[in-house]
Amino acid sequence: MPTTAAQLGTKSAALERKVRTGRVGLKRWLGPDYRLGFLFVLPIVVLVLALVAYPFGYAVYLSMTRKYVGLPPVFVGFENYVKLTFDGFFQRAVVNSFVFTFGSVGVKLLLGMGMALVLTSQIRFRSFWTGVLLIPWVAPTVVSALNFLWIYDGSLGVLNYLLVKVFRILPQGVGWLSEAGTAMASVIAVNVWRGFPFFGISFLAGMKAIPGELYEAAAVDGATAVQRFRHVTMPGIRNIVIIVMLLSTIWTFNDFAIVYILTKGGPGGTTMVLPVFTYEMAFGAQRLGEAIAAALYMLPPLAFVIIVLARHMRRGRAK
Amino acid sequence: MVRGGGRRSQATAGRLQSAVSYAVLLTLLLIVIFPFYWMTITSFKSEDQMRSLVSMFWPSPVVDENYRQLLGKTDFVAWFKNSIIVAFTSTFLATAIGTIGAYALARLRFLGRAFMASAVLITYLVPPSILFIPLYAQIRNLSLADTLTGLIVAYPSFTVPFVTWLLMGYFESIPEELEESAMIDGATRFGAFYRIVLPLAAPGLLAAALYAFTQAWNEFLYALVFITDVKLRTLPVGLSSFITGDVYGWGYLMAGAVLTTLPVIAAYMYLQKYMVEGLTAGSVKG
Amino acid sequence: MDSRLKDLAEKLDAGLIARREFLRKAAVVTGGTAVGLKALEGMARAQSQTKLRVWLFKSFVTAGNDLLAKQIETWAAERKVQVEMDWATFGDREQKFVAAIEAGNPPDMAEMNYQGPSRYKPALRDVTKLAKDVAAVRGGLFPYAERVVNLNGQFFGVARLAFGGGFFVRKDLLDAKGVKLPKVYDPDVVEMAKKTQDPSKDLWGFGQTLNRSDDGNGYMQNILWNYGGGVWDKDGKPALNTTFQKQNLEAIKFSVDTIQKHKIQPPGVMGWTDVHNNEAYMAGKLVSTNNGASLYYAMVAKKHPLAEKTQVILTPGGPAGSYLAAGAYNWGIFNKSKHAELCEDLIRWVEDEKRFDEYTKASIGQAGSVYKSRADKPYWKTDPNFDGMLQNILRSVWVGYPGPFSAAAVEVQAQYILCDMAGRVVVGGLSAEAALKEAHARVEEIYKIRGGKV
Repeated sequence: MPTTAAQLGTKSAALERKVRTGRVGLKRWLGPDYRLGFLFVLPIVVLVLALVAYPFGYAVYLSMTRKYVGLPPVFVGFENYVKLTFDGFFQRAVVNSFVFTFGSVGVKLLLGMGMALVLTSQIRFRSFWTGVLLIPWVAPTVVSALNFLWIYDGSLGVLNYLLVKVFRILPQGVGWLSEAGTAMASVIAVNVWRGFPFFGISFLAGMKAIPGELYEAAAVDGATAVQRFRHVTMPGIRNIVIIVMLLSTIWTFNDFAIVYILTKGGPGGTTMVLPVFTYEMAFGAQRLGEAIAAALYMLPPLAFVIIVLARHMRRGRAK
Repeated sequence: MVRGGGRRSQATAGRLQSAVSYAVLLTLLLIVIFPFYWMTITSFKSEDQMRSLVSMFWPSPVVDENYRQLLGKTDFVAWFKNSIIVAFTSTFLATAIGTIGAYALARLRFLGRAFMASAVLITYLVPPSILFIPLYAQIRNLSLADTLTGLIVAYPSFTVPFVTWLLMGYFESIPEELEESAMIDGATRFGAFYRIVLPLAAPGLLAAALYAFTQAWNEFLYALVFITDVKLRTLPVGLSSFITGDVYGWGYLMAGAVLTTLPVIAAYMYLQKYMVEGLTAGSVKG
Repeated sequence: MDSRLKDLAEKLDAGLIARREFLRKAAVVTGGTAVGLKALEGMARAQSQTKLRVWLFKSFVTAGNDLLAKQIETWAAERKVQVEMDWATFGDREQKFVAAIEAGNPPDMAEMNYQGPSRYKPALRDVTKLAKDVAAVRGGLFPYAERVVNLNGQFFGVARLAFGGGFFVRKDLLDAKGVKLPKVYDPDVVEMAKKTQDPSKDLWGFGQTLNRSDDGNGYMQNILWNYGGGVWDKDGKPALNTTFQKQNLEAIKFSVDTIQKHKIQPPGVMGWTDVHNNEAYMAGKLVSTNNGASLYYAMVAKKHPLAEKTQVILTPGGPAGSYLAAGAYNWGIFNKSKHAELCEDLIRWVEDEKRFDEYTKASIGQAGSVYKSRADKPYWKTDPNFDGMLQNILRSVWVGYPGPFSAAAVEVQAQYILCDMAGRVVVGGLSAEAALKEAHARVEEIYKIRGGKV
C-alpha cells in the first residue's frame, strides 16, 4: 500500500513528540486517557479480584478435589465432573433447572409485555400503578417465598380456601407444593410473580424511548393497534426484550431461595433445581468438591448466554 | 371503506382498547397485591383465628399482639438498624465504584477497556452459592467475620457489576459533544465528568442506587453465614430465625415481613420514575 | 442532532436541581455511614474482653431456649467473660457449621445434634475426660446416647438430652368411635384411621409425610426396621436392596399405601416439611401423627384445647417389632477455640443437675434423659404423656442398626436418602423395586466414601 506524504508527515510528527516526551509513548500504549481511566477502574479491579476472581479460582480448584468438611482437600482432577455426568439425580436436576428457567422466563415475558403495554396506554394514575406493580420485585425474596409457603399451605392456605370454599372450582384442596403435577408450576409461579415487574418496567422504558412520530405515522397509515404493536413497538424494543430475557435467564437459573424455601427440591425431587442440588450436596452430603463441581458444570452454557448478552448490549449501543 | 366508518370504528377500537387495558391492569394488580394483602391481614390475626379458618379475609378480632411481640420481645429493631446501615453504606460504595468505573469504561480510552467491560459482566455469572465459602474465608482474612463491615464489603461484589453496566449505557447515551465543548472551554476531563456528565446521569445513578439498595436489603445467604451475633443480624436472616424448630409463628413472621417490606415499597413508590428513566437510557437501551 | 442537544441542555438545567436533590440524598447516605461506623467502633471496643462464641440449637420450646440463655448469661457475668450466642434451627444449621469450619472461623463451642460429633470430628476437640466426669456422677450414659458421642473410645461431645416424642393421638375421637389405641401400623393405625377420619370435613386419620424432612426421615427409618428390614446389615454393610430387600419392599409398599390405597392421609402430605403436621394437628385436621415433644409443648404452653384430648403413646410397630432411633444432642468444643477451659466450665455449669432440672421443667417433656440418673426423676411421672415420650427414647436403637453406628449411617440420614426413595414411588411414579435399587446405589456410594466405621 503506497504511503502518502501526509501520512508520513503525521507519523514523523508523532515520532518527534514521542522522542520529546516519554509520556506520549505511554499514552500510545496505554491509551490517551489512561491515567484517569486506570484510576477510575481501579476500585472495580480490586473488588473483582479480591471478592470474585480469587474465591472463584479457589472454587474451581475445590471442584477438582475430594473435599470433606474440616479435612484438607485431595486433588482428584475431573473425577467429580465425570461422576456427575453419569449421576441420575444430577441429570434430573439439570432438566428441572431448564424447565424452571424457561418456564419462568416465558411467562414473565408475557406478563411483562402486558404490564408494559398497559402502562403505556391511556390510563389514569399511571405512575402510581407503575410503582405498585414493581412491589414484588423489590420485596425481599425470603419474605415473598415465606408468604407463598403460607398461601399454598394445604390445610390452612388461602389458595385452597379460595378455590374450594369461595369459588367452588375444586371439590377438595390441592397440595400445591406436594404433588408431582403442581409442584413445579407452583414454584415457577412464585418466581414469575417476583420477576415479571422487572420485565414490565424494562419494556416500558424501551417503549418510552420509541419516538412518538412513529406511532403517529402508523396511525395516519391506518394501522390497527395490533399492527402498530407488530411494526412499531416490537422492532423498537427488540433488543431490550432479548437483553432482559437473557439477564432473567441467568437470574432464574441461579435462583435458590424460592425453591429452597418452598419445597427444598421435593416432592420426590420434582423441583430439585441445580442451586438446591448444589446446596444439598454441600451441606446435606457435605461433599464440597462435588457440590462446587455441580455448580460449575453449568457455567459454560451460562457463559454462552452471557456472551450473547454482551454482544447484544454492545450492538444496542452502537446504533 | 367510508371515512366516517373508519373513524367510528377507530373510536370503538379506542374504547375497547382502554377497556382491555383496565382489565389487564386490574388482573395484574390483583396478582401483585393479593399476597401483600394476605401477609398484612395475617399479621393482625390471632393464632386461633389462623387455625380455625374463620373470617378468612379480615382479622377478627384485630390484634396487635404480633407487632407488640416483634418490637418488644425480639431484636427486630436492632436488625432493622443493621439492615439500614448495611444497605445504605454498601449502596453508596457500589454506586460510587460503579459510577466512576462505568464512566471510564464508557468514555475513556485506555488499554484493557474492552476486556474490563466484558470481565465486569462475566462476574455477574458466578452464582453466589459457589462463592460464599471461599468468600467467607476471604472476609475472615480481613478480620471482618461477624461484623457489619464484612457485609458492607461483600455486597458490592454482586451489586457493582450490574450498576456498572447500567451506568455505562447511561453515559454512552450522553452525547460526547457536551463534554468536548466543556473541555474546549477549559474544563479538565474530570471537570467535564463532574460538572456535565454526572448531573445529566442523575436519574441513571438513582436507578442504579435503587437497584443496589434493593439487592443489599434483600440479601440472605451471606448475611446468614458471615454473621453469628444475633444482635448483628440483618432483617431477612432475623425474620427467617422466627422459624423455630418445627412450628412457624405465622403471625409473627408476617408482622416482620410487613415491616421489612414497607421501606423498600416506600422508596420505590417515591422514586420509581427514576427507575424507568434510568433504565430507558441505561444498559437495557434498545 | 440540534434538537437533541437542546433537549439535553434543558435536562442539564433540570439536572442541576436533580443534583441538589442528589446531594440531599447523599447526605442521608453519609449519615447512615457515620452511624454504621460508630456502631462498628462500639463493637470493636467490646471485643477487647474475652469473648466466647456459643452456638445453640433453637428448639421450638422457646421457654427452654430462654432459660438456657439466662443460665449462660449468669455464668458469663460470674466468670466476667462475654458470651455471644447464636441460635440456629433445622435447615440453616448445617451451612453455618460447614461455612464456619471451612473458613476457619468456628465458634468456641456448640450444641450439636447426634450427627455433629461424627460429621465435624476433624474440627472438634477431644473431650473424653470431661464427658466421662459428667457421666460418672449421673449414673452413666444410656448406650443410645454414648454411641453418638463416643467414637472409638474418644468422646467428641458431651451429651445433654434427647428430644422426646411419640405417636400423637386424638383420644377423644378414638373414644367416640370406640377404637382402641394402636400398637402396630398395619392393621391398627390403618383401621383406626379409617374409622375415625372424615375426609368430607377435612379430618384425616393419619398425617405422616414421606417428604425430605426430619419427620419423614425418622418415619422411613423406623418403618424399615418395623418390617424386619433396614439400611445396614449386622456388619454395617449396605443391605437395603440385598439382605433386607424383601422386608424393605413391604415397608415401602405399606407406607405408599397409606397415601394411595388406604387414603388415610390428607392431600398434600408429600409436600409437608417438619412444620405441617404440627399445624394440621393443631388445626384439628388429624387424628394421629408422629412428632417430637415440641407439638405437645406448643399445645400446653398455649393452653390449646387439643392438649387435653391428646395422648402421646409409643410409636407403633410392625411385624418385626417396634423400633425407633433417638439421637442425643451434645456439646462440642471446637479445636480452634482458645478458651477450651472456659467452654468446659460452661458445660459443667449448664449440665449441673439443679439447672438442668429447671430446664427440663421449662421444656415440657422435650428434654429426654441421656444420663441414667436423670430418667429416675419424679418429673417424668407428673404427666402420663411425659412418661410416654421418655419410654420412647429409652427403648430406641441407633442409625446403623443392626450394624454399628457409623459415619455412613449418619450420612444416609443426613442426605434424606430414604425419603427420596419413598418420594420417587409416590411422586415420581417409580416402582418400589426400582426406587429401592436406586436408593441402594446411593447408599453404596456413601459407604464407599465414608466406610462402615465412625
